[in-house]
Amino acid sequence: MTIVGEMSWFCCGSAWGPCGSTGRGACGTCNSGSRQHAWPNASQACYDITRPDLCGISGMSRRGCGFQHRTTNLCNGSSVVTSIADCGPRTKSFCGEQSCCGANCGRHRIVDLTPSAYSVIASLSTGLRPARVTLP
Amino acid sequence: MTTTLDRRQVLTAAALTGATAFGSLAPEDALAAPAFDVAPGAPDPNFAEGRIKSIEGSKLFVSGSDGVFHRIQVTEGTSIWKLTPVDFSKVALGDGLYARGVRMPDGLLAAESVWVNIVNLEVHISSISHNVLHMEHFGSKIVGHVRPGITASVYNGTPAVSDMSLLKVGKHVKVIGAWRPDTNEIDIATVYAAV
Repeated sequence: MTIVGEMSWFCCGSAWGPCGSTGRGACGTCNSGSRQHAWPNASQACYDITRPDLCGISGMSRRGCGFQHRTTNLCNGSSVVTSIADCGPRTKSFCGEQSCCGANCGRHRIVDLTPSAYSVIASLSTGLRPARVTLP
Repeated sequence: MTTTLDRRQVLTAAALTGATAFGSLAPEDALAAPAFDVAPGAPDPNFAEGRIKSIEGSKLFVSGSDGVFHRIQVTEGTSIWKLTPVDFSKVALGDGLYARGVRMPDGLLAAESVWVNIVNLEVHISSISHNVLHMEHFGSKIVGHVRPGITASVYNGTPAVSDMSLLKVGKHVKVIGAWRPDTNEIDIATVYAAV
């Protein structure tokens, strides 16, 4: 499985500021300081919310809590392996969005990493980066 | 003989000696270095979050949201973001932060990067007024301040522009910004929108 698109980050678990209201995610284990991610097809209920198919994405496998993916930042080639802890991103809300580093582009939101995981492969201030998601 | 120092060695040396003489690392380059091994799903020992309780010299004492207490060493090689790249003098008591670096044997985190008050919110725009976006995030109202000369919009991945006119009430957007501590207000760095 290989999907190319956009990655971002999100906060969860105990947190300060506006993140304080986000909770522990769909799996009940999400924590900003852990190597985790949100996946748009973590369950049927999740998929009904995120609907990546409405952006033309096919082949996004259903994977439950704890399943591991490798996310690679297409801007610098670095990668991180994380496990599913939440449902997201809401891909359908951002259909068509694209981010690029030179010729390396990602289209549509496909994965959200925790701040801990995202900051391994990109600066949090970037917000969005083109990325490739594969099996570890 | 050539001696090569990797990032961990440099940060470790700086934290141990208090050295501040090494140059700043560009975030994208620094982060291209191999990740240290942490099991997927596990807490990352080289990462910290929380709010600043005290500052002594270039050391931050941070109370984590999960109750863990962190000591964070900032050096001249640490990149600091607070709405924009800033120097250490802009960091204040009560600020929230995320930090990545190298955890020393005594528990000190030698910081490579510190992001102060940074938020990344998926929000729904509820209204727009002069230099202010009113937004909803998980049922909470957020007031987003547009900072002329700083705030930028990115529409469908095109280069960032200062023009906010394509943002529409009712749309979902992603906002990178800096929280104003103990309020529901943020200063907006970047709005990402699909139009």
